[in-house]
Amino acid sequence: MSELSTRDRIHPGTAPGEDLHLEILGDGDFATAEMSLSIGPAHPATHGVLRIVLDMDGERVVGARPVIGYMHRGFEKLAEYRDFRQIMALVNRHDWLSGFSNELGVALAVEEMLEMEVPDRAQWIRMLIAEWNRILNHLMFVGSFAIELGAITPMFYAFREREDIQHLLESATGGRLHFTYNQPGGLKIDLPKGFLRQSADLVTTLRKRVPDYKDLVLGNEIFQARTKGVGPLPADVALSYGVTGPTLHAAGVPEDSRVTEPYLKYGDIDVHVPLGENGDAYDRFSCLLHRIDASLDIIEQIHDHIPAGPVNSKLPKMVKAPEGSTYVRTENPLGQLGYWLESDGGRTPWRLKMRTPSFSNVQAVPYLLNGVLVPDAVAVLGSVFFVVGDIDR
Amino acid sequence: MTDVLARRDRALSPDETEALLRDRLGDGITGSTLEFGTFTVHVAASSWHAAVQSCRDESLLAYDMFDSLFGIDAREEGFDVVTVLYSTSTGNRICLRTRCDGGRETPVCETITDIYRGADWMERETWDMFGIDFVGHPALEPRLLTVENFEGWPLRKDFHLASRVAKPWPGVNEPAELDEDGNVIKRQPQIGDAPGPYDLDKAMAEQARAVNASAIEAAREADDARAAEGSTPALDVQESEQADNAVDAESETSPSGPGASPADEEPTAAEKADARRKEQAEARTRKAAERTAEESGDDPQLDQETYDRLIAEGKSERIARSKAKAARIKKQRAAEAATDDDEQGDA
Repeated sequence: MSELSTRDRIHPGTAPGEDLHLEILGDGDFATAEMSLSIGPAHPATHGVLRIVLDMDGERVVGARPVIGYMHRGFEKLAEYRDFRQIMALVNRHDWLSGFSNELGVALAVEEMLEMEVPDRAQWIRMLIAEWNRILNHLMFVGSFAIELGAITPMFYAFREREDIQHLLESATGGRLHFTYNQPGGLKIDLPKGFLRQSADLVTTLRKRVPDYKDLVLGNEIFQARTKGVGPLPADVALSYGVTGPTLHAAGVPEDSRVTEPYLKYGDIDVHVPLGENGDAYDRFSCLLHRIDASLDIIEQIHDHIPAGPVNSKLPKMVKAPEGSTYVRTENPLGQLGYWLESDGGRTPWRLKMRTPSFSNVQAVPYLLNGVLVPDAVAVLGSVFFVVGDIDR
Repeated sequence: MTDVLARRDRALSPDETEALLRDRLGDGITGSTLEFGTFTVHVAASSWHAAVQSCRDESLLAYDMFDSLFGIDAREEGFDVVTVLYSTSTGNRICLRTRCDGGRETPVCETITDIYRGADWMERETWDMFGIDFVGHPALEPRLLTVENFEGWPLRKDFHLASRVAKPWPGVNEPAELDEDGNVIKRQPQIGDAPGPYDLDKAMAEQARAVNASAIEAAREADDARAAEGSTPALDVQESEQADNAVDAESETSPSGPGASPADEEPTAAEKADARRKEQAEARTRKAAERTAEESGDDPQLDQETYDRLIAEGKSERIARSKAKAARIKKQRAAEAATDDDEQGDA
C-alpha cells in the first residue's frame, strides 16, 4: 500500500486532449478522488456523436463538458457560395429530423427581403407539411428517449407511425427526410390528388394511437421514477441560455413563435402550447408528447381552411436579394430556429447565420448534469432533445 | 395565450427603445435601422457591454432571453458582432450591432458572458470562425467547432472555400451565367483557375498519346504483319487449342505403358504424384517447343502429303494446314500405339 500512497497515475489518457486517469489516494481514510469519464463520441446513449466529458466524484457528476464539432460541415460557409434557391437543399440537412421546417425559415427570410407575395394556398400547405414534420420529429424522440431509459417497445410503435407519415409526405414532396419542397415564393408543386383525404385519415389513425404512448411511457412507473424531479431547469436559467422548444415549455414559459410572432397563417388558427410546471425530465417529455396532439389539432384546422389557388409565384431568372439584413425565426420541432440573412445585393448571401435550437439547448447540459448520478445523467441527456447535426452545423 | 398577446401593450416601439438607450448610453448608440422587419441598434464598441446590460436590466426593456451572437465580415473595416435578444414579457426583439476595434488584424470585442450564460458558446464559435477576441471570456480555446490545430478563420471572406478553388462551379445552367434576358454569359478564365474537368481530361489524353506514340506504332506494325501473313488471331488460337488437345491425349496415353507392365510392388502415393508431376512438366516443355516451332515458321507437325493433296483440291492454305496437322497427329498416335503393343508383346 505504501507504494501507492503517492498520487500515481495508473491509466494513461485514452482520448486525445483529455486525460482519463484514476488516482489512488490510499492514505488509510475512505477518501474518493475525482475522475473524468468520457462518454462518446460514439456512445449509443448519446444519439449522434455528441461527446461529453463528465467529472465524477464516485457516482455523482460534479462537472460536465460537452465536446462538440465532430459533425461540423461548415454550412454557413457553403451557403455563401450558393444562390438563394440552392440554399434550400443545404439547410434541410443540418437538423435531419426536421428538414421541411429548416427550409421554411430560409424561404421566409428570402421572401421578406424580396418583399414577395406568397399565395395563400402555398402558405397553408407549408403549415400543413411543417406540422406533419413536427410530429415526425417528436415520434423519433418519443422512441429514442424511451430506449435510453431501457424501454425498446415505444421505438417500434414510433417507427410504425413514422413510416405512415413519411409515406404521406413522400407522395407530395418526393423526399422522406430531405424534402426540398420550398422555394422562394411558394412551393415546388401542388399537393397530389387525394392528399388531403389521406392526411385526414392519418390524423384519425394517430388520434387512436397517441393515447397508447401516454399509457405506455408516461403512465409507466419505472419511467416516472427515473424522470420525475430529475434535472430541473428553472425558467430564468433556460432563458439566459437561450433554451427553446419543449425544453423551455417544460419550465412553464409559453414562448412559441407560432403564437408570439405568428408567421405564415398561424395567426388565423388556434395554436395550443402544452406547458410543464417543474421543468424536469418528465415535464420535458410530457410537453413533447402533448405537442403531437397540439399539432394534430392544427392539422385538422388547416384541412378546414386550405383554399384553392396557385402554390408559387413567378420567380425572376436571377434571385437577387436587395442590400440589407433580416432575422427570421420559426418554431422548429426542437425549438426556435433563427436565420440571419444578410445580402450585399449579389446573387449569394453575404452571411447566413443559423441559430439552431440544439446548439443553445445543449449549452444548458452542464448546468443540468451538475450533481446528478450517472444513471440520471442518461435521463437528463435524453430529455434535452437535440440532433447533433443541428449543434455542429 | 391571451396574456402573451396582451403584453404587447406594454412593449416599447423601436423609436422609444432607441430613445431610452440613447438616454442611458449617450454617444454609445450610433444609430438604428428598421429594415425587413428587423430592428437593429448600432452600438459603439466601447459601449457594447453596457448596452447589452441595459437591455437586460432596464425594466421597460427587459430582454430576458438570449437568442444568439455571431460575427459578420465587414470588408476593409473589419468585423461586426451582432447579438439578438428577445423579451418574453413584452414580445419585443432587438438586434445590437457593433464594429470591432482592431480592424482586420486584431479584432477585439467585450464579452457578455457575465450577462447571458448562452453567450459562452456563441462567443467561442465567433472566435473559432472569425478570430474575434472576446476580452474577459473565460476560455475561448480549445476551438469549438473546428479541430484543435486548425489554421485560419473559416468564415472570413479572405478564407476561400477549398472546393471552389480546386474546381470552378460546373455547368452553364447556373443562374449566375445567364444575363437578364436569359442568354448564357461565357465565364472568362481567370488567373489561378484550376483546369476544369473537361480541360483536364483533354490534357491528360494528349499527354497519354505523346507518351504512348512508340508503343502504338509498334502495335500497328505487328497488326499489319499479321494481316499480310493472312492468319487471324482467332484461328491461331484454334490451332494451338487443337495442338494442346493432342498433347493432352498423348500425356494420357503415355503412362499406360509403364502402368500396364506387371509390377511386383505397388508404387507409393508419393512416387505416383512425383511421376505425374514429371509427366506434366515434360508435357509443358513439349508444348512450348511446339509453339516456338510454329512461330518460327517451319512446321514439323504438318503431314506434307495431306497438305499437298488439299492444296491441289483448291482448299485454302489455312484449312489445308490445320487438316494436315490433324492427320499428322493421328499418324503419330497410331505409331505410338503400335510401339506400345510391341513392348507389351516383348514383355
